[in-house]
Amino acid sequence: MTESELLNRIKSNPDDFADLFILYYKPIFGYILRRTGNFDEAADITAEAFFKAFKHINNFSYKGISIKVWLYRIATNELNLHIRQKKKHNSIFERIGIEDLDIFNDYLQEDRKDYEKELQKHDQFLIVVKELKTLPIKYQEVISLKYFEGKENKEIAEILLIKEGTLKSLLSRGLEKLREKCNQI
Amino acid sequence: MEKEDFEEKLVQMTKPEVNQLKHQDMLAKAIANAKDKTVLSWWWLIIPLYVISMLLMKSLFMPNTTLISNIHELTTRQKLVTYIFFLILPIFFILFNIMSIRKVYHLSGNPKSFIFLKSVWLNIMMILFSILILIVFSL
Repeated sequence: MTESELLNRIKSNPDDFADLFILYYKPIFGYILRRTGNFDEAADITAEAFFKAFKHINNFSYKGISIKVWLYRIATNELNLHIRQKKKHNSIFERIGIEDLDIFNDYLQEDRKDYEKELQKHDQFLIVVKELKTLPIKYQEVISLKYFEGKENKEIAEILLIKEGTLKSLLSRGLEKLREKCNQI
Repeated sequence: MEKEDFEEKLVQMTKPEVNQLKHQDMLAKAIANAKDKTVLSWWWLIIPLYVISMLLMKSLFMPNTTLISNIHELTTRQKLVTYIFFLILPIFFILFNIMSIRKVYHLSGNPKSFIFLKSVWLNIMMILFSILILIVFSL
């Protein structure tokens, strides 16, 4: 099934949104997890991003970008909002009224255990992430998408809505700043 | 460490991977079920607005009648229907839309006022129209 067909199906039947989850929830969750280095933040921000995507899916139209890029863009914005505002609100899991919240929390707890273990296996990565988080957001975005997610420059430029030339310059400056910080350790 | 070496190190470094998430399916279902657009159709509000506009036309075209006198006349003739359209329905609309606005606010996680107003403008309009109908009826 093509992205366009999936999009049409979701627009006519919201329950098919689950198919979008199957395709993109894990990659987006991974992206946020690698940027924050924290399971709880990743779970909250990713859920918030998908909730926003669901609310605005009817407004999505193909204007040269794929759903995947669109989802990465929403997730990046949501993450930046979280960093800038450190917004305090009820957890999205409470707000959307999950049935069987106890079972859901059990699943979340199991996932938390698994991914805290997974994060601990990559201590060197966590040190880099800690230093990266001290840099301005514009550098965090480009370095994370380029070196943690392995994205091509064209796709990063689409996600961040910047020109490839700007991206290269941000990458170069950001990398230099991160290198200086990591060399001090 | 040189810049090129550092870049290479970033690429080669092992990173946490996400393979399985147990909470994923339940979250997908909950999001698909979360409805934040609980606005009723305009259609119901059209009825009292239509009746009021008819009464207004009657007061304009018939000498010695006013909108208020025509409403009073209608109230005397069609007591139950008038109360339903001009009192119960607008009150229900006001309450329903206030609850709807609260729900949207709650689901959106304390959004900025501009974004919030953009998503609930229809509810606000419906509350205003309902208040207008109540005012006309109470005159």
